[in-house]
Amino acid sequence: MTSQDNGTPSWGARADHRVLNKDTRRLSGPEKVKGEAIYSIDRHVPDMLYGKLVCIPVAKAEFTVDVDPAMEIEGVVIAIPLREGSTLYNGQAVAAVAAETPELAEDGARAVVVNYTPQGFVVTAESAKAPGAPQVSSRSPNHAPRGGSNDKGRGDMDATMEALDASDFVVEAEFDVAIQHHACLETHGLLADFKGGDEATIYASTQVAFGIPGSAAGPLGLDRQNVRCVVEHMGGGFGAKFSMDVAGRAACLMAAEVGRPVSMFNDRRQEFETSGNRSGSIQRIKAGVAKDGEILAMHSDMDKLGGVGRGPGAVQPYIYNVLESFTLDYALHTNTDSSRAMRAPGHPQVSFAMESVVDMLAYGIGADLVEIRKRNLSDPAYHRQLDRVAQEIGWNEHQHRTAPGKGDGWIAEGIGFGVSTWGGGGGPGAAAEVRIERDGGVTSSIGVQDLGTGVRTLVAMIPAEEFGLQASDVLPRIGDTQLPNGVGSGGSVTTASVAPCLKDASHKTRLAFAEHLASVLKCEAKDVTFADGKVFAKSAPDRGLTWKDACATLPAEGLARTGKWIGDLQTSGAHGAQAARVQVDLMTGAVKVLKMVAVQDSGLVLNPLTWRSQVNGAMIQSIGLALYEGRVMEPDLGIQINANLGDYKLPGCMEIPELVAIVDDEDTRQAVIGVGEPPAIPGAGAIANAIHNACGARITSLPITPDKVLEALAKLS
Amino acid sequence: MKSFELARPTSLDEAIDLLPKGRGPAEIDDARPLAGGQDILTEMKDYLITPKRLVDLAGVAGLDAYQSAPDLVLGSLTRLARIAADPQIALHHRALSIAAESVASVQIRNQATLGGNLCQRPRCWYYRNESVPCIKKGGAECFAESGLNKYNAIFGGGPSYIVHPSDCATALVLLDATVTKRGPRGESRMPLEQFFTLPSEGSVVRENVLKANEILVQVEVPAPKPGWTSTYLKFKERESFDFAMSAVALSARIEGDTIAEARMVLGAVAPIPWRAGEAESFLAGKPNTHATWKEAAEIALAQAEPLEHNGYKVPLTKGLIQKALRELSGGESK
Repeated sequence: MTSQDNGTPSWGARADHRVLNKDTRRLSGPEKVKGEAIYSIDRHVPDMLYGKLVCIPVAKAEFTVDVDPAMEIEGVVIAIPLREGSTLYNGQAVAAVAAETPELAEDGARAVVVNYTPQGFVVTAESAKAPGAPQVSSRSPNHAPRGGSNDKGRGDMDATMEALDASDFVVEAEFDVAIQHHACLETHGLLADFKGGDEATIYASTQVAFGIPGSAAGPLGLDRQNVRCVVEHMGGGFGAKFSMDVAGRAACLMAAEVGRPVSMFNDRRQEFETSGNRSGSIQRIKAGVAKDGEILAMHSDMDKLGGVGRGPGAVQPYIYNVLESFTLDYALHTNTDSSRAMRAPGHPQVSFAMESVVDMLAYGIGADLVEIRKRNLSDPAYHRQLDRVAQEIGWNEHQHRTAPGKGDGWIAEGIGFGVSTWGGGGGPGAAAEVRIERDGGVTSSIGVQDLGTGVRTLVAMIPAEEFGLQASDVLPRIGDTQLPNGVGSGGSVTTASVAPCLKDASHKTRLAFAEHLASVLKCEAKDVTFADGKVFAKSAPDRGLTWKDACATLPAEGLARTGKWIGDLQTSGAHGAQAARVQVDLMTGAVKVLKMVAVQDSGLVLNPLTWRSQVNGAMIQSIGLALYEGRVMEPDLGIQINANLGDYKLPGCMEIPELVAIVDDEDTRQAVIGVGEPPAIPGAGAIANAIHNACGARITSLPITPDKVLEALAKLS
Repeated sequence: MKSFELARPTSLDEAIDLLPKGRGPAEIDDARPLAGGQDILTEMKDYLITPKRLVDLAGVAGLDAYQSAPDLVLGSLTRLARIAADPQIALHHRALSIAAESVASVQIRNQATLGGNLCQRPRCWYYRNESVPCIKKGGAECFAESGLNKYNAIFGGGPSYIVHPSDCATALVLLDATVTKRGPRGESRMPLEQFFTLPSEGSVVRENVLKANEILVQVEVPAPKPGWTSTYLKFKERESFDFAMSAVALSARIEGDTIAEARMVLGAVAPIPWRAGEAESFLAGKPNTHATWKEAAEIALAQAEPLEHNGYKVPLTKGLIQKALRELSGGESK
């Protein structure tokens, strides 16, 4: 687009955009669809060894490990112990092996002798709280306030109890959220490409490419600046890939030892047992409402199931205005691996319980489900978003508006709602370089990884807009620590951290190019105009140059500028509302989501197509959380019994309904916000509410599987 | 997966000769037949079994019979995708057509064989976990009996509580199929219903009468009797691809407003396809009404003995029975 403002970079009016804010197909789409994209797990280099972890098969143990038997197998090149002493959960890695083939590595791993003495353990919430239960670890009691022993709860308990007494209608319920897994198709791990000498390249599956050299340098015995990390494509992260994990560290240690490249990625079972889960929770809630719909009181007692970790911080009453609330926030430890960040850590869990409570209160006083939400949410963004999703889902024509269906007959349909918030702002630290070559080529470089969200495409779109070109005219270079600094992709910060750098670099490059072209076009630099693949003087649009001819006037080294983060180009504060329409089969308990609608604000949307993909993906993960997914721990054996993609049920194509993702176009902020997290929050609550709305069965335990629906229906009749 | 020898015989006798001679569990691990490989390779990758030799049946003559109408002959190497796509089977043996189509995913159906589907091992998550020494793997205990038994049996359990995972088995028992097997002593035929064994009857580490040195040759299904139609309702926890949580194979002859005769086999509720004989007797000659469907469902489940976590299978299966009867009466199934 023509960019005549020569001052501070700005995104410009939306109406003027030619590339940004327009649906632009993912540049890596064709190679991904054709299977040509090389993920780190696919990468092979000459002389490479395959690594395999040796994992302890019990929940808690004292152990010793003897790796020598593995070395007796021909083709096993190295076997190392990784730790000594004790383990706290099943699947913890204690040794590693590398061999000439994956099969020999497996044979080697199985030959390692682990002598262990099992210790008492707890792997479920119930057993962790039982009197006399074994202690998970010596560091903390199994059940302890997340804020430390002085944490007596948030809010005024007496005032809350008084407000409950004064309420016209009170509900009490316990909500149980199962542990969900990230279930990345590409498991955790990396290829440490080291052949001796003083340099190495790490091909990692990571959300923080720039964090890898510092982590890998130690085990490789190299200087950090001599370790490069490359992340060409990512097979999923969702919050689980912020470190190089034990597989990565072991690969580096073994590569350093033998002077050969080692590739080591988790197998699927290890991925489930040790490398990522969204914490579960148990929330006991009592809440009261006035006849006019104002929520007066909420008492919540929350246990976060973060395994050996504490779980995330989000608490009730989530984002609703509640006059008086009191919250107890506990960690309930078990002998399972720690939970990790996963798309809005803690939020979907509390949102599910809160949205359920709001519906329960609404039905209690006969209020409309949309109106009670607006009554207790002050930001006008929510009001317009709720109205919009209600319209899109067909709320006004729906038959169960103030009372749920009765659960009789063969089939029932219902609607539910939820809302969410998130920050989504960026931060400083990244940098970008935009380069124009004399042959007309444009390269846009930033080292950041693309988690699959579409960053690569943005990296091309931003300079394309600046130079009046198309995204396909720009070569994006990403995922490499030899490029300018990226950021870690967590908390929805990526777009708001890198887009300003790219804008700044593009802007500076354009100004420099305009300066150069002023003499060629015989006009002032400020009048040099870039549009539709041409460059011309503002006053003489007919006598310009093609982009290519303009570039040919550059010196041999071309033209390049770097850009840094500019806070004004981004902001934070995302709001969203979602609605779900479900069908409940009253004979079988099957729930089918028929349609989901999301209305989401996130400032200026740079690429609406990949934005919608983000929102759709978040709704699909919400469907998984609501209806299908959940880690199942065997209480007596101490193991996860469904640690595979057959028994752990991710939604497939038949589970995905009509998804409608709508940009809230009343948000006119001229700054970018990330959208990774916010749409992943309200879906599960909306679906649970829709099930109740359909048939009157209030199910407070996720996932809502057919057995639970049948049980709840039986209680109704 | 542990290394193994791949034998590629061309005749049945040669194949049988490559299979174990003895009967003990140790000998069974010497060699196993390989058909489509969709289950056995998974078992090997998960180290549930570590056979020294796989006997590939792909090149063996005599296992590829295929006659589709109306008397059905299906060699054991018949791919499930072929059964699912055959319009003659859909017309005459509808329950089998639906059952074959319901198995797993397109990719698996393209590779999986009928013989392999009938002989596949249980899906019980204790059995499938290498580190659990369950009774099906020669251990002393059925961990599902008092453990996490959501997916286990409500009929016919003990000492193992697995459910039979095959959709085709349920449909073929409904359709009165006969199976032919061959071993060192030659060929024998038997009703498919008798092929499957309860853990309390046969060996607890097997699900059928097939010995380690026998090969399933083919399945035959008689042409349907005039006026009979059939269906198969499979309930999956995840529709995209999954094993059954419960299934109903139903055939009936409906005359006007009366159910003249019916046959019913339940799937995923017992270690074998579970014939609902009392419900069949009840339905004969009854008026074709929702009240009759409900009563038939009650009768079919009356003897169910749910475990701690699978009580839902009782109302679920009752619901499926009513839906199946409704479907054969011209109503919707879903």
